[in-house]
Amino acid sequence: MNDLSQIEKELRKLRPARPSPILFERIEEAMIDCRAVASPARQPERLRYNWLSLGFGLAAAAVLVLFAAVKMERQESGKEIAQTSREPEAAPLLNRARKSTSTDKFVPAGATRLVYNTRDEGLQFAGGSGQPLRRMRYQTHETWQWRNPTTGASLRVSYPSEEVVLIPVSGQ
Amino acid sequence: MQNLASHEDWKSCFSEVAPGLLLFARQWVQSAADAEDVVQEAFVKFWRRNHKIENRALLYAAVRSIALDFIRRDSRRARREATAVGGTDDFIEPQFEFEDDTQRALAEAIDFLPCEQREVLVMKIWNELTFAEIAGALGISQNTAASRYRYALAALRNTLQPQ
Repeated sequence: MNDLSQIEKELRKLRPARPSPILFERIEEAMIDCRAVASPARQPERLRYNWLSLGFGLAAAAVLVLFAAVKMERQESGKEIAQTSREPEAAPLLNRARKSTSTDKFVPAGATRLVYNTRDEGLQFAGGSGQPLRRMRYQTHETWQWRNPTTGASLRVSYPSEEVVLIPVSGQ
Repeated sequence: MQNLASHEDWKSCFSEVAPGLLLFARQWVQSAADAEDVVQEAFVKFWRRNHKIENRALLYAAVRSIALDFIRRDSRRARREATAVGGTDDFIEPQFEFEDDTQRALAEAIDFLPCEQREVLVMKIWNELTFAEIAGALGISQNTAASRYRYALAALRNTLQPQ
C-alpha cells in the first residue's frame, strides 16, 4: 500500500504539457461566435433516428418482400404450366399446381431476439442536444420463422445485429 | 453554484482544467494540436449548454465523446492520406514536462497501461476527479473505477521496480 502511495506521489509530481496560448484565443473566438449565432434558449428536441435499428428494420422488410416475391413466382410458374400443357397427361401437374397455390401459405411462426452482449459506452452529447445521453450498445442475434401449416415446411432467417441506443440521463 | 456561461473569468477556470483535459484527450488523439481541437470543442459545447462548473464528469464525458468521434473521422482521413501520399509524419509531442529520467520512465510506463486503466488514472491524478465523478463520466461503477485505479498504480509500480 505504501508502494502505491509512493507511486501516487511520483505521478503527482509529473506535470502535463501546457496548452498553447493560442488555444485560449481560439476558445474565446468560438464563444463569441456562439453568442452571436445561438440564442440562450434551449433548442427544440430534434427527432433522432437510430440508423442501425432502421437498417435492420429495412433488412427484415426486404426479407419479407423477397419471400413474397418467391411465393408469387412459384404461383406464376404453376399457372404457366397449366396454360401451356394442353395434353391430357398434364392434368395431374395442373392439379398439383392448383393444390400448391392453395397450400403455399406461410404464416409467421416466431421471432426471437437474443441479446448476448450489452456494452455501456458512457455519456455523450448527440445531435446538438444539451442533454447528456448514455450510449448503450446491444449485440443481438435475431431469428424470424415462418411455417406452412398445410405442408409443414418452415423458413427460418437468422442474422446477427447490433443496436446502439441513446438513453437520456436526467438529474444533477 | 455558478454556470460556466455566466462565469466572468472563464479563462481562469479553463486554465485550471486545461492541462488535465488535454492529457485526457491525448489518450485517444496522438498530436497535441488534435487534442486541443477536441478540448476546444468540448469546452465550448459545455459552456454553451450552460452546465455547472462543478459538473466536471459531464465535461470529461464530452471530451471523451468528441475524442472518440474524432478518431473515427481521423482514421478514415489517415487511410485516405496514406493512400494518396504513402506515409505520415510520426513525430508525437510529449504529454508531460519531464524534469529527469525517472519522470520520463514513469511517463513511458503510463503509455503502456491498458486504456481503461489509463483514463481512470489521468482523471484521478491530473484532473482530481472523485471516483464518483469518474464513474459518472465513464458509465462504470465507483468500485470498478477504484479498482482500475489501483490496478494502474500496481502496474506502474511493477514496471518501475522490477523484481
